[in-house]
Amino acid sequence: MLGEILHILAAAIISWILFVTVDIFFKLPETGGVSGASAIARDIQAGGGALAGGTMMGNIVCSPDASAGTLLAACGVYVAGIPGGLAAALMVFIGNRICHDPGYAGTTGAVIATFVIYGFTLVGFAATDFVAGMVIAILSIQGLSHAHASRLLARLWRVRQ
Amino acid sequence: MIALYVVAAIAVFAALRAIIEKNTGRKLPYANVLNFAVAGALVLLLDHPLSLVAAATYFVGSTLEANAIASTYAGGGKR
Amino acid sequence: MITALEVTFGLIALAGAVSAALIRDSYGKLVSLGILVAGVLPFIVDRGYLDVAIAVSLIAPIATIFVLLAVRREER
Repeated sequence: MLGEILHILAAAIISWILFVTVDIFFKLPETGGVSGASAIARDIQAGGGALAGGTMMGNIVCSPDASAGTLLAACGVYVAGIPGGLAAALMVFIGNRICHDPGYAGTTGAVIATFVIYGFTLVGFAATDFVAGMVIAILSIQGLSHAHASRLLARLWRVRQ
Repeated sequence: MIALYVVAAIAVFAALRAIIEKNTGRKLPYANVLNFAVAGALVLLLDHPLSLVAAATYFVGSTLEANAIASTYAGGGKR
Repeated sequence: MITALEVTFGLIALAGAVSAALIRDSYGKLVSLGILVAGVLPFIVDRGYLDVAIAVSLIAPIATIFVLLAVRREER
């Protein structure tokens, strides 16, 4: 009982680091991929946040990026092991193209996450821990406080530059 | 089993915050958290290869919906 | 499904329906319809109707896009 909760928290931290690293590596905070992402960034800035972090949050809303790739890869590993994770990466790629997004952040994130999650299942984690952990990680970015989350993302983006 | 309870609790929290928030641009990130939670819950509820397809279809479809709402809210442009 | 989960997802669906009826802003209404679909979908999957779930999750965003066309024409 307590061990499972600790596993979920550890999985949340691992997947948070994974998807934020991949997103910032693919320069998501730089420009809004579609016009809706810039509108969300404007509203978040009006609510007291930073523009670069708001742009990245808008891109997460408007197109499946590395966070969606991590979630679906965790689901795929839970259902069918490594082939399931790679099938999830293919579906993220199709979803990117449906949403007019030219980037490869989602596909790359899904492929990396498949191998990371499969590696952790060998150590004693369950794939369901990563599904719940990814939902907690996305809650910490998009669901608690937009102002603080966007400032944190903007600070990380300045380090990348 | 705990994973399913965690996901369901986050889903109801995100839904309530999305309803309470007034501004459309700040409403959409909360709805996005709800979509993540429901897509995770679909796979955790039923362990079958086709439920992965259902979760991916739901996630891509709801992302497209949020994308269309945000683009129209921004004032037209590409949908 | 476990009763606690049924109550949780039913609460999400009911909250989406009530807020879609009460909110005046047209974009807010569409977001509430998305919340309604999100609450209904776990019940479909729990019974095992995965094909129905796939069809619903394909039809719902297309319906929203058609409504958005009408919203845009009204604003002009």
